[in-house]
Amino acid sequence: MALSRRTGGRSRITLALLVLTSLAALTLDSRDAGIVRGARNTAGAVFSPLKGVGEAVSEPFTNAWHGITDYGDVRGENDRLRERIAELEGQEVLNADAAQQLEELTAQLDLAWIGAIEPVRARVVAGPASNFAETIEIGKGSSHGIKVGMAVVNGAGLVGKVVQVSDHRSTVQLITDPGFAVGIRLPNGLTGTARGQGRGKELIVDTNLAPDGDDTPKVDTAMVTSGIDRSAFPADIPVARVKTTREASGGLTVDLVVRPMADTERLAFVTVLLQEPG
Amino acid sequence: MTPAGPAIVAVRTSFVLAVILTIQLGIVPRIAIFGVHGDLMLLVAVAAGVAAGPDRGATIAFASGLAYDLNLHMPFGLSALTYALVAYGVGLLQHSVLRAAWWIPVATAAVASVVGVILYGVLGTVVGEDLVSLSLLKIALIVGFLNLIAAPVVVPALQWATGSADGARTRAVYR
Repeated sequence: MALSRRTGGRSRITLALLVLTSLAALTLDSRDAGIVRGARNTAGAVFSPLKGVGEAVSEPFTNAWHGITDYGDVRGENDRLRERIAELEGQEVLNADAAQQLEELTAQLDLAWIGAIEPVRARVVAGPASNFAETIEIGKGSSHGIKVGMAVVNGAGLVGKVVQVSDHRSTVQLITDPGFAVGIRLPNGLTGTARGQGRGKELIVDTNLAPDGDDTPKVDTAMVTSGIDRSAFPADIPVARVKTTREASGGLTVDLVVRPMADTERLAFVTVLLQEPG
Repeated sequence: MTPAGPAIVAVRTSFVLAVILTIQLGIVPRIAIFGVHGDLMLLVAVAAGVAAGPDRGATIAFASGLAYDLNLHMPFGLSALTYALVAYGVGLLQHSVLRAAWWIPVATAAVASVVGVILYGVLGTVVGEDLVSLSLLKIALIVGFLNLIAAPVVVPALQWATGSADGARTRAVYR
């Protein structure tokens, strides 16, 4: 009995020390300490090749798993695609016209978003490593000129920003991550900050607009990155569209609830803009 | 059988942690149900509590959480804190229950995984991550189910690594 009491006392002391160490680590991280960043970069460099090996080895098994768990979705998608092919075959002429328009639009969009910034296209190699982290991994890293803080986009708009880089891989924080914030500008010149709210949720933009003001943007109004001085993102990248508005806490201003342009749950390829944040 | 020495236990445990962390980072995220995947590092924490008791179990769990935190873009130390608390609780529970049936550690792993995910969400919210929502329950239940499947492999791996498989007979006599 005496032995178990001694053991119990020692284990409580151990637990107290571990809790204190955890709290110290959390505090260091919240202050963006260099030691934590360095340790994370080292871990990224060490585990990056191992992850690649793991992915290659597991490919057949994960394909089989998706075959089982997504069977219903795949079947439904096949039916929809067959229907779509039939439609497209009947609209060949219209499609040719639409393709030309799309090409022109894409060229304009490329010009508007990227301008003189060098882009690096990368494949998404892994989804979020944890059920709570809104991050993806892409198959290019510092050897391709990618650095922490660079903006990541796809054809629809802003996807996120690079938060960790190793030689051949990078981690991208998605726009939906609760810790993500981006300065935005509306067509009427109004600026604000859009913040992620978690997987599958809309972003929230805080504004200085009064609840009954005339300049509240209408539903579906698009917004772009503001690109103001020292902004982390280049200007004019499409970010989101207004879905609805709601009163901010306190009721003095309104928040915009906005839908991201990019579908962050179905990303296959993304483009990193090689411009270092200001 | 002679119990393994501390150096051998440390080497074995480090090896098992490294292998499971690699699997967690490279393979597990690709095997998801409703967008939720298993959490082998949490399962390691639970298994450490089962295999090594509250004291050593919490220490191993802390190490596994810290290693996982280094590879996540989440608050550094959050997994370590959560896992240490979970392993400590499981270790205390384990000490008060006779290991009469094979399924007790497996069932413990599933239930403790559910509790661990919820605890992670609550502690994450305390440090400003806003993780508590209805989807937290969904994540917890799916992680519990997936960890239940992996437990028959991970729990014995930790029992071997910590030498508790070697010493189980000795400890039973102690009690």
